[in-house]
Amino acid sequence: MVLAWLPVASAHPHRGRHWSSRSQICVIVNTALTLWSTEGSTVKTTAIEEVVNSRMTRTLTEIDSQEESSGHSLLLQSCRCSSQEFCPADIISTVEFNYSGDLLATGDKGGRVVIFQREQENKGRTHSRGEYNVYSTFQSHEPEFDYLKSLEIEEKINKIRWLPQQNAAHFLLSTNDKTIKLWKISERDKRAEGYNLKDEDGRLRDPFRITALRVPILKPMDLMVEASPRRIFANAHTYHINSISVNSDHETYLSADDLRINLWHLEITDRSFNIVDIKPANMEELTEVITAAEFHPHQCNVLVYSSSKGTIRLCDMRSSALCDRHAKFFEEPEDPSSRSFFSEIISSISDVKFSHSGRYMMTRDYLSVKVWDLNMEGRPVETHQVHEYLRSKLCSLYENDCIFDKFECCWNGSDSAIMTGSYNNFFRMFDRNTRRDVTLEASRENSKPRACLKPRKVCTGGKRKKDEISVDSLDFNKKILHTAWHPMESIIAVAATNNLYIFQDKIN
Amino acid sequence: MEFKLEAHRIVSISLGKIYNSRVQRGGIKLHKNLLVSLVLRSARQVYLSDPCPGLYLAGPTGIPTVPPPQQPGEPVAGPPSGWGEPPPPSARAAWPEPEPQPQRPSVCHTPGTGSSEPVAAVAGAGDALPGREADSAAAAWGRVERPRAMASGGGPDTCPEGPRAVRRPCGCPPAREEQPAEDGSPAPPAPCPRKRGAAGVGGGRAGCPAPGSTPLKKPRRNSEEQPSTGEEDTDTDEEMETGNVANLISIFGSSFSGLLRKSPAGGREEEEAEESGPEAAEPGQICCDKPVLRDMSPWSTAIVAF
Repeated sequence: MVLAWLPVASAHPHRGRHWSSRSQICVIVNTALTLWSTEGSTVKTTAIEEVVNSRMTRTLTEIDSQEESSGHSLLLQSCRCSSQEFCPADIISTVEFNYSGDLLATGDKGGRVVIFQREQENKGRTHSRGEYNVYSTFQSHEPEFDYLKSLEIEEKINKIRWLPQQNAAHFLLSTNDKTIKLWKISERDKRAEGYNLKDEDGRLRDPFRITALRVPILKPMDLMVEASPRRIFANAHTYHINSISVNSDHETYLSADDLRINLWHLEITDRSFNIVDIKPANMEELTEVITAAEFHPHQCNVLVYSSSKGTIRLCDMRSSALCDRHAKFFEEPEDPSSRSFFSEIISSISDVKFSHSGRYMMTRDYLSVKVWDLNMEGRPVETHQVHEYLRSKLCSLYENDCIFDKFECCWNGSDSAIMTGSYNNFFRMFDRNTRRDVTLEASRENSKPRACLKPRKVCTGGKRKKDEISVDSLDFNKKILHTAWHPMESIIAVAATNNLYIFQDKIN
Repeated sequence: MEFKLEAHRIVSISLGKIYNSRVQRGGIKLHKNLLVSLVLRSARQVYLSDPCPGLYLAGPTGIPTVPPPQQPGEPVAGPPSGWGEPPPPSARAAWPEPEPQPQRPSVCHTPGTGSSEPVAAVAGAGDALPGREADSAAAAWGRVERPRAMASGGGPDTCPEGPRAVRRPCGCPPAREEQPAEDGSPAPPAPCPRKRGAAGVGGGRAGCPAPGSTPLKKPRRNSEEQPSTGEEDTDTDEEMETGNVANLISIFGSSFSGLLRKSPAGGREEEEAEESGPEAAEPGQICCDKPVLRDMSPWSTAIVAF
């Protein structure tokens, strides 16, 4: 297992983003009003203004920056929120690598999706690995209002899932509580010139003025990355969507809310099939909800879904149209000695992930990660404690709502290690082969370039050693809920509230 | 004893969460409310099964008193007792009985501490409860206000101060003596802590100002949240004890109205689910509502039907 991790890139809290009207330059402004701009695939930073007091007030100002030498004009908008260190809309809510690992997508609470692309390795510098730079940013979902139920629908992106790449464009699914959208991200680096009916400015030419015909020619232009919504899958979920999962047939996908799982075809937006429905006839008898669902990575007829009761059900879609009866039922008997008021809450599974091999699956409940063999339903094959020291603090965690945090977990490419997040910006990695585990921290102070991450330790009681942190001094507002592991290499992406950290293994 | 205290605290916190979930952006989250209702149920079970019949939650003074039961099954509380919950046996006795009239929140018998406040609050809540279901929330708010004003003589600060007074042995009892409220329809004791607790955490001082005002609407509820949170910052005790019981009843009430008015769908379903959790766990609750409803005959049928 990789034990030495180096920070590769970190995106700092951004206040506003704006696409330049002409050239699609993504502008991210962080708290210090530093302009990050991308041209093509490089990131350059230009300090526009140093704001001493980074607490921006609620003025909404539009600043016209000077024209860049390349002729692009940029507009900056300061964030509307005030008296906070960061805008709550910037909190990252999902992180996902694509199948090749070259692209990393993040979704945030404001409904935006930011895609990072790995820099192509420079042949001259063999020891430099590719860095991740901003590739594309777009607003995926907007806040909506359901007038019938008088409910506001949050624009927060709950999940992003990439589709396998089939042509030059990239496709991903992003979802909020109610609507799933299929986005196409494509590059454009050529521009046609010499239209007959249009001027260079785009104005239509007077047909009578056209005396000669010419063939438009393609001229190279600065790389522009466009994101366009290709499909919108809406109005299929009564409850809040918590998961989406692309099937291995690359044609269908599932979306799961609290009580139902629907199967969609990627091409068809006006129909979806309900394959799991656990809504009781009488809502008073409701005892559990669906918390996560995923398709098997290889068998296109197999899916699993986890419940708030700590159980996982594996369903085979070949058995019946409505898979209410599970094919397999995974549940670990509860330890009666550890029963408390909050036993039910902490046993609720927040994430379920198949291993890349398809033989195992991993579940995350509040205090532990469990690895299950699909062939053994009685108990998990491995249980790893993430932050067992919190077991005595469950009551206060219930009060401050932290007990409801939904942590995610992920496998590495070879299924030899698993990773999940914790509090105080800590995240944990477990090596399944050597049975070693490590706690690391994602923070700016620790993310100096070319400095390895130091393992951290939480002191559970007794004498606190140097460098240890006591349980009471953990910051429960700094939680790492979303992590992602590169599908093939030792690169990880960790989302700490509104910051994204990317680490890679130390190059020897 | 500690379990009871702990359970009680958890109950009040849970109710506050349920209350707050209604004003959260994005609608009511079914999963979280289900979990909260499970915790609520466990805490309630622990609370009711705690074999300390004569003891009440010790207040900050830490002196658990064993007040003589004035009536069989009647909850009694000494001045320092926190909530003055009825002893479990009495609670159990209270539940199947459709006659909770003699039962009243123990606070109302707290000598000299203005114990009537919580009663008024609860009574107001009880009044609000039947009133809630029949109509839209806005209209229900109006009904809440009117009975409460009626009971409390139109003064504010009835609800929050009541429980607060009870909780703090040294707390100054609210000035108002709500005799009419006491004689009114006291809500059954078992639901009381839930109502008060939830109102304490979530409602805070919500509804305290001008209960006789026009029917409250959601914006007002939102604005009420701010004072409540502010209060919580200053006094963590208060965040659990104080509260507008009527607010909480409005929660339950509006869920009833949702159940009766709409077919289950979306947000309403979520309300159902969240309310059905605690409600389903306490079938006795409905029985207890009946005596309350007796005094509010127009709405009794609806609640009983539920």
